[in-house]
Amino acid sequence: MPDTDIRLRQLLSSRKGAWGLSLLLGWITLIAVLGLLAISGWFITASAAAGLLVAGAYSFDFFRPAALIRLAAITRTAGRYAERLSSHNAVLALLQDLRCRVFARLAQRPPHAQLSSARQQHRLVADIDLLDRFPLSVIAPWLWASSIVVLLLMFYYWLAPALFYAALAGLLPGWLLLPLLTGQAAARLARMDADKAEERRVFLLHSLQLRIPLVIWQQWQSRQQDFAKLDHDYLQHQARQTTASSRLLLWQHWALAAGFLLMLWAAQPLLLQHQLELPWLVAALLAYLGFYEIVAPLTASFIALGLSQAARDRINPLNQGEAVHTAPLPLHNRPLQLQLHDLQVANAGTQRFNLDLQAGDILVITGPSGVGKTSLLETLAGYMPPLQGQLLLNSQQYEHSSLNGHLGYLPQQFDLFNLSLAQNLRLGIPDTSDAQLWQALQQVALADWARQQPLQLDTPLGEHAVAVSGGQARRIALARLLLRQQPILLLDEPSAGLDSATAGLVLQAVCQHQRKGILIVVSHDIPAGIKRTNRVRQLSMQN
Amino acid sequence: MPVKTATRNNLPSAARQLRQLQAPQQGRLRLALLLALGNTALLIGQYGLLAWLLNQWLQTSINDAFIPTAPRALYFVFIALAACMLLRPVLHYGRERLCVQASLEIRRQLRDRVLQKLARPAAQLAHSDSDGALTSRVLDQVDALDGYLQRYVVQAQLAVLIPLMLLVVTTPFSGLAALLLLLTAPLVPLFMIILGKAASASSRKQLQALSRLGGRFLDLVRGMRTLQHLQATEQAQEQIAQAAEGYRQRTMAVLRLAFLSSAVLEFFAALSIALVAVYLGLGLLGILPWAKASIPVPYTGALFILLLAPEFYAPLRQLGNDYHAKADAEAAMQELAPLLQDEGWQHQGTEPLPGTLPVSIQACDLSVQSTDGRSRLQLPSLHLQAGHSLLIQGASGAGKSTLLQVLLGALPHQGQLLVNGHAFARLELNGWLNGLDYLAQQPRFIEGSLADNLRLAAPQASEARMQAAMAQVGLADLVQQRGLDWPLAERGAGMSGGQLSRVALAQLLLRDRPLWLLDEPTAHLDPDSRRQIHQLLHQLSHGRSLILVSHSSAGLDWVDQRLQLGAPQTENSHA
Repeated sequence: MPDTDIRLRQLLSSRKGAWGLSLLLGWITLIAVLGLLAISGWFITASAAAGLLVAGAYSFDFFRPAALIRLAAITRTAGRYAERLSSHNAVLALLQDLRCRVFARLAQRPPHAQLSSARQQHRLVADIDLLDRFPLSVIAPWLWASSIVVLLLMFYYWLAPALFYAALAGLLPGWLLLPLLTGQAAARLARMDADKAEERRVFLLHSLQLRIPLVIWQQWQSRQQDFAKLDHDYLQHQARQTTASSRLLLWQHWALAAGFLLMLWAAQPLLLQHQLELPWLVAALLAYLGFYEIVAPLTASFIALGLSQAARDRINPLNQGEAVHTAPLPLHNRPLQLQLHDLQVANAGTQRFNLDLQAGDILVITGPSGVGKTSLLETLAGYMPPLQGQLLLNSQQYEHSSLNGHLGYLPQQFDLFNLSLAQNLRLGIPDTSDAQLWQALQQVALADWARQQPLQLDTPLGEHAVAVSGGQARRIALARLLLRQQPILLLDEPSAGLDSATAGLVLQAVCQHQRKGILIVVSHDIPAGIKRTNRVRQLSMQN
Repeated sequence: MPVKTATRNNLPSAARQLRQLQAPQQGRLRLALLLALGNTALLIGQYGLLAWLLNQWLQTSINDAFIPTAPRALYFVFIALAACMLLRPVLHYGRERLCVQASLEIRRQLRDRVLQKLARPAAQLAHSDSDGALTSRVLDQVDALDGYLQRYVVQAQLAVLIPLMLLVVTTPFSGLAALLLLLTAPLVPLFMIILGKAASASSRKQLQALSRLGGRFLDLVRGMRTLQHLQATEQAQEQIAQAAEGYRQRTMAVLRLAFLSSAVLEFFAALSIALVAVYLGLGLLGILPWAKASIPVPYTGALFILLLAPEFYAPLRQLGNDYHAKADAEAAMQELAPLLQDEGWQHQGTEPLPGTLPVSIQACDLSVQSTDGRSRLQLPSLHLQAGHSLLIQGASGAGKSTLLQVLLGALPHQGQLLVNGHAFARLELNGWLNGLDYLAQQPRFIEGSLADNLRLAAPQASEARMQAAMAQVGLADLVQQRGLDWPLAERGAGMSGGQLSRVALAQLLLRDRPLWLLDEPTAHLDPDSRRQIHQLLHQLSHGRSLILVSHSSAGLDWVDQRLQLGAPQTENSHA
């Protein structure tokens, strides 16, 4: 779906009004900056000329230029303030839009295509922040400088064509040619920046993760030297980028200076022949000097462009992988039946599984570590396709997305979010009442604990649920599944991190809760709390 | 990471530390300042020449009695003007290069210093930061100094020196115009301090808010599979939209204030140009109320002052733009300070290890206290014979790990601790560490092949030795199936916990040291794998001294000695 790709050009289109306003305000401000200088120069030169003529001083209208000068001064101040506010408002809105868009896109990716490493996710966050450079440091400076250069040249042409040509000789290279010529190289450097930065970060992160063994293995010194090389390499790369900008600025100023000198040179004969009046020449020269400030940001614009392009290129691959919107599997009001026919799953050797589970059945999968218990569970949950054989729910094949509402799965690596206890429990079921939440907490033996918390249901869990113990976190994730009342429940090592008394209580409650559905538990042994009735079956996996 | 206020107060102020950092690059920074001042001097010359030239033209065009300058003098002025205009960008370029280099060198050395500090085991254990947070300190916080070093340091001096230079050259032409500039000038730093302080405090808050927003995003993205499973993606999307909207509103409130400070600067710059222009213009017309029919400032001087007026405020405005660089740098320095200043306790011994290997270890009335005076370990007596194994058990907090940390030279102890009958405190630490191996629950794997990971512990290991070691830990099949080049993902993902423990044991075997200190190496495993690893240890640790901390004693019936911490005595289980 390339139409959902982020294109830099479209970044401005999401909030056209806000961007338009800030571009306009910035433009007015810059006009006022040039105007203030030009009118002031014109005014004192004209005054000086009038003062030298005996009668001139009293017929000279000094009110209007003086008022214009004050107007320009005020416009310049107010305009810059308003421009800053509106452009930052627009930038923040842009980042907000982008975050929502990227998140929505990630949410549509099938589970197996989710980003695996925390590093990639971090990069994503940083990349979104980089995209604001495009409107702020590329589009705005170029629009302003280009439109003002045109106005300026028109003004010069109106004064005298010779002045126009002289100015053109400086402005054209300074404003357009030099930045364009050197820009590609600068943008290329900037595009490499993120990769180099990442290489350095990953190397250091790995080194620090292993710092204790590395010190004991006497490898820290050599590892640090390797890092120093990478670090130096990256810093040099950054220095090359700034040098590219600095060098461009140098050439730009030389070109502009040449234009200025040419204007002076061309003006002398014009003045002598009275084709140009001195006050207008001074206005032209001062406006030209003021223009320096307006073209200077162009020197860094290609670096900004390269950084935004690189960020865009890393975000866009998120599009790959089709969206998942499969309709839930119909159960046809038939009694629940989960069948495994000659099922073979990854990481479980050549074992084949044949099972027929019905509502009320409990299956306990046991076996030593590494035999593929979790892989079997992931396959049952529809996250992994079976290698061989068939997996049928009410005689229909399924994948994860068609299980919506039918199956709850508690993996070993469950996720709790940096939200409150209640918000975590209500994910996906926002209308659940407080009473239902308390009941679920009771089932996982956490109600007493929650009642002791000062904020009760609003207790924040912290990032990675740091505010609660591992066992508590697992039970909160379990309670979240219980609240959803799903016919099939898959639990991977639900009693890990729990003492045996609590584990017994919790599993007993889970069996009671799931008595009308199917419960599948992975565990090293049949857990306490599951009574060995004839509905309980054990699948013992071997190496 | 919260740092104890007590330690923070003892540290030198962030501003002073920043100055200390600059010391080695003082030469470059001074030269950069000189170049910038030279630039200003050329600017003054440039505008002087321009004003003189334009005055010539004004006089020629108006005043018939005026005698125009000889063309040769005009040529000279032109050449001098060109020289000024062409030389100035060169000086600017030189200044930028010098500042970039200075900043680069300072950051490189600072980073080196931080990593150097982390090389000691004592420092390793003292920093409880997550690896990610530590990485970000070493990289991001150090790089946060860049703006300050590259721009602010020189600019802060220029903001004082350039206006002074310009005042000195304008005063002879017009005392009043200089006074106008001088009167508005002190208001500028005043406003900058008031508003800049508020702005920097709130800009820090805003950065925190941004990182919270980024954190919220990351938190939800990380759990996307779960969100999809719970059909809660829309709810999560709402959370993000809300957080971003809240962030936007809060930030705008902050920015309004911050931009006000630059607007004030802008206002003074614009106002003074306008005032100076109107005053000079009316003066040239001879209609000033207090100086009727006289010209207080002739045209050359008037134009010269007008040209210089914007330059008077330019360095201050630039400094205003870079003001946040200083706040950023100070905040970064505060974050880095604990890493840099933490001298703490260090193992001081210098003597080589005497006697035979494997070592024997004896302790008598050994105790360890934490920095706040709590007792972390009380050990009346311990005697580990050479080549024996010792299992340490006890409730959490009894000091099981503490004993191992003492033996790693990471903690100071009281009482007697002897290795081969020789005081442990007198041993040279690097030599001692080289003679032992240590395994805890921390990851020991990098992204790379199985062989890369094995060679981390033993760089010289041959392929045959690696295969033999893998066979010894019961992973011969795995190596046969997948080969030593099989890539291991970050943190060893792609292998089961039991398999990773075995690979860690293979690392121990390849390094082949006579003393093993193992700190709950199996705590994260299921009981079955735990028992298997424990049994495997029996064969592998043969001929070594072994201290093993473990909650579970399943599969450990072979150990020679057991020590129940909290209980006073060691008992010899084989006696």
